[in-house]
Amino acid sequence: MPPDNGRYMVAAYIVAGVVYLTYVISLIVRARREMK
Amino acid sequence: MTPDLGPAYAVIRRGLVLTILGIVGVGVVMLLAIQFTPVEARQGLAQKIFYIHVPSATVTLWIAMPLTGLASCLYLWLHDLRFDRFAAVSAEVASVFCLVVLTTGPIWAKPIWGTWWTWDGRLTLTLFLFFLLLGYHTLRAAVRDPVERGRFSAVISIMGVVLVPFIHLSVYLWRGLHPQPIVMKPSAPSLPPEMLRTLLIGIAVFILMYAGMVTLRYGIQLVRDVREAADAA
Repeated sequence: MPPDNGRYMVAAYIVAGVVYLTYVISLIVRARREMK
Repeated sequence: MTPDLGPAYAVIRRGLVLTILGIVGVGVVMLLAIQFTPVEARQGLAQKIFYIHVPSATVTLWIAMPLTGLASCLYLWLHDLRFDRFAAVSAEVASVFCLVVLTTGPIWAKPIWGTWWTWDGRLTLTLFLFFLLLGYHTLRAAVRDPVERGRFSAVISIMGVVLVPFIHLSVYLWRGLHPQPIVMKPSAPSLPPEMLRTLLIGIAVFILMYAGMVTLRYGIQLVRDVREAADAA
């Protein structure tokens, strides 16, 4: 029976998602500002 | 005189498309890992962190840092500011990927090793690489002259690339908790085919996302540089 540690997987996926999405949003904001 | 920004805008648009494809791809990889990849018997669901941790590390160490170093070497050799621009952009994206490696790693370590952090050779050297990248960005922000900025930062980025083989070999050089490579090793990968498939798709998707982010960020910097040159003229 595998250990019950799914919350760590969820936490890691959320952290990675937040880091990548935050950076992408910052890029989009900068791109929009430069293209005005 | 109004500068022609059309080509730079085209780079931004291309980067945006690639980045969005990459982000969607990362979502697909997460779904693939959770829903269609078997659960590892000893580590349980926490092992699925592998499918974002390893591709992020692969892009940092084997794509972003070598390309940053190569562009820095080419800048030092040819003095072409385009290489300096690419190196700066690639180093910025490398920092983001490295941050994900350094945050997902401890979250995986806690349930498996019983601790968030250990001063294992690989972890410590990866943290050094991240600090070196932070130093790189600080230096670039502090130096005004583009030629000096390019030269100094190129040397720092090359030092970062020198760290990469040590990070890779650290698990063989020093005894620690971090496991040895299971794919990037002389013998065949020691992973079941379903897990290997998800990992390889993950690496391809993260490379696509890196390419998109670099293209988008390069386009933004290109617009700024073209405007700055036009203002100075």
